[in-house]
Amino acid sequence: MAITGRFVLLAFAGLVPLLLFPGWPALLLLCGGLLVILVADLLLAASPRQLGLERRQPGNVALTGTAESVLTISNTGRRPLHALIRDAWQPSAGAANNVQLLDVPAGERRRMAVSLTPRRRGDLAAPHVTVRSFGPLRFAARQRTVPLPGTLRVLPPFHSKRHLPSKLRKLRELDGKAAVQIRGAGTEFDSLRDYVRGDDVRSIDWRATARRTAVVVRTWRPERDRRVVIVLDTSRTAAARIDNEPRLDTGIEAALLLAVLAERGGDRVDFLAFDRRVRARVESASKGKLLSELVQAMAPLEADLIELDWQQIPGQVRAVSAHRSLVVLLTTIDGGAPEEGLIPMVAQLSRLHVVVVASVRDPMLAEMKEERTTASQVFRAAAAERALLDREAVSAQLRQLGAEVVDAEPLELPPRLADTYIRLKAAGRL
Amino acid sequence: METPVAPAAFEQHSGGTSTAAPVASASALFTAWARRHVVWIVIGALFAGMLVYVTVSKLQAPAETAVLSTRNPAPEGGMALAEILRRHGVTVTATDSLEATHAALAGSDHATLLLYDAHGFLEEEQLVGLAGAAGRVVLVAPRLRTLGALTQDIRPGGVVPEGTGTLEPGCGRADAQAAGPVSAGGFTYQGPELCYRTRPEGPGMVAGSRDGQLLVVGSTALLGNGLLDEEGNAALALRSLGTGQDLVWYTPGLGDIPAGNDAPTLDELAPPWLAFLGPWLSVVALLSMLWRGRRLGPLVFEPLPVVVKAAETAEGRARLYQDSRAVERAADNLRAGAMTRIARHFNLGAEADADAVVDAVSRRLGRPPQEIRTVLVDHRPQSEGQLVQWAQQIERLEEEATAR
Repeated sequence: MAITGRFVLLAFAGLVPLLLFPGWPALLLLCGGLLVILVADLLLAASPRQLGLERRQPGNVALTGTAESVLTISNTGRRPLHALIRDAWQPSAGAANNVQLLDVPAGERRRMAVSLTPRRRGDLAAPHVTVRSFGPLRFAARQRTVPLPGTLRVLPPFHSKRHLPSKLRKLRELDGKAAVQIRGAGTEFDSLRDYVRGDDVRSIDWRATARRTAVVVRTWRPERDRRVVIVLDTSRTAAARIDNEPRLDTGIEAALLLAVLAERGGDRVDFLAFDRRVRARVESASKGKLLSELVQAMAPLEADLIELDWQQIPGQVRAVSAHRSLVVLLTTIDGGAPEEGLIPMVAQLSRLHVVVVASVRDPMLAEMKEERTTASQVFRAAAAERALLDREAVSAQLRQLGAEVVDAEPLELPPRLADTYIRLKAAGRL
Repeated sequence: METPVAPAAFEQHSGGTSTAAPVASASALFTAWARRHVVWIVIGALFAGMLVYVTVSKLQAPAETAVLSTRNPAPEGGMALAEILRRHGVTVTATDSLEATHAALAGSDHATLLLYDAHGFLEEEQLVGLAGAAGRVVLVAPRLRTLGALTQDIRPGGVVPEGTGTLEPGCGRADAQAAGPVSAGGFTYQGPELCYRTRPEGPGMVAGSRDGQLLVVGSTALLGNGLLDEEGNAALALRSLGTGQDLVWYTPGLGDIPAGNDAPTLDELAPPWLAFLGPWLSVVALLSMLWRGRRLGPLVFEPLPVVVKAAETAEGRARLYQDSRAVERAADNLRAGAMTRIARHFNLGAEADADAVVDAVSRRLGRPPQEIRTVLVDHRPQSEGQLVQWAQQIERLEEEATAR
């Protein structure tokens, strides 16, 4: 139960008779009167137990979007309901109007729409709904909390989508659909067509030309149906916040761009989020709806404060694809840990696969390196240089093992990773 | 509240087959409950402790500080004297109000009354009444008003001069003769029977009336705990007060001021409704607390993600460098960073040594290799000041060399 401001005002107004007729009888009468009003109003309020509450799940929404959660309140009692209803979403769901005053006549139903503008990726929950049903005099209310779970899945925003058109254009250039023709290893013979000015003379097929009157060139297209395995590190290093974005989210952006690009390029994409066990997995079989499955799988990912189990990674990759594939590791090459885990694992993995290690570099380090005015700034610069040199050493070691290293700042990482993919594809190394 | 329920519930559940398990589970449940509510338990214990302390300290008799009080153990108190008298069979009744004194006097015949009215609270008729009820009256350092009400024979005679150590009895009173010399101090009196005169034929510190019913002692220090064991003080005091079986020790308090037709109290002035205003306003305040304090359903938890600042390790290392004044190490890092970047800029390859870098830079900038080498390779800063200067120098050189 709850009392209202109106009841407090009434009690305050009770001061007038109390002051006019001071004494115990007046006091007792006043207390009794207030109590009677309170109980009567409570008894006359519509019972919150005689309500039917239903929730329409808001489903999925991208991080920047707005979703609507709809509650249906049906009054099965005999008294009209006048109630304050709270749909208790967690704070980061950004519910604008989750407390609403509603009138539901007896035997009818009303809808209550709550608009949600989530501020965080992941599964956001609303565990219960609270109903505060006021009496006809609005002096007191009966309150009840009903467990009515609701979930809103907030998908990663995929900001790197804006790089997609330019990267796809590059990919089409490889594909022989654009004017430029490249011949090289890793490309397959596609078809013969008439020579047009501008074609590479080396691609003229003399045998076919001899059979016909016109000059004929061969066209090539890049190899298709290669496998791309994206492994996203969700261990403690992924929790590090760089440029106000966790490393994990940057990794998700990069993985999304690469996955979409590779799918359009005709390759099969598998996704794996891993720390000590598999956190999410998307199979390459799901062609056509890869993007939606990916964002669904990535949405609830959170970085855990545990160490990545590097020894399991080769096994996991083997479980996904037994053939030669492009294995993209979205992790970090910060000094310290890689020597024990990453480097031996890459050495093992690169015997069979093409390995790309993608890591987010902190722009803070570059800033620290530049500032050299005071002694403490110079020491900071020295420490930043050391960190960068360590990264440099690790990436040199990885390159020596035959792996590709993409080390870029958060906004740069997705397009740089996509470029690396296109380059590898063009070179036929997949 | 949960603990008594838990074992019963467990027994029902397990069918009472095991005897040890319910006990263990009860204690485990209690431990879990205690662990969950540890903050409230600590706060509750503190509150209870404070309550007990306040109650106990209020219940204890407050330490008496009044002069010549029988419960005051301080030097000016009268506890020692009262205790000695009690041990010698004298019933000492300490009172601090007129009614209690009358009641105590009525309980015995010929009781001795010790009256010490330092502030002159008592009126003339009250004093006369008291003197009539008591067998003998011993006045301690009385004021003029008090003395005048009881006798016309004895009058104040000034004070004992400063620097007087002891006074000789100098009279025929048996008590004084037995006691011998006593500590001097306090007031002196003129009267028919004077002892302990300050000067021959002068006023005396102890005075008695003709009928022997009234004895005036001018000094409170004489009877106090502090000086009781000196000279003949104790003898004089005990002999003066311990003559009878009963002694009523009366030190008047504020309550003995006769109530006259004073100004009305604040309570009487206030209108009758005022008594209800405050309480009712607090009731309204309580109601408004209930109104504002009632939450619309329980809170919803936000599972906050872990956030780690990425550059934290570099910052920590920087502070370590600074704390240990690792100038050389810092310089090496800066040098290595600059060299690596310059080498990469000139495509010198991974195996390029310092000479190659110096050559490339000097050719690009058109400056003698020796000068470049000094900055880039040879200089070893010794202090933080030199390090800052050199760090800026090497940065400038790098910028110039790599600028297109």
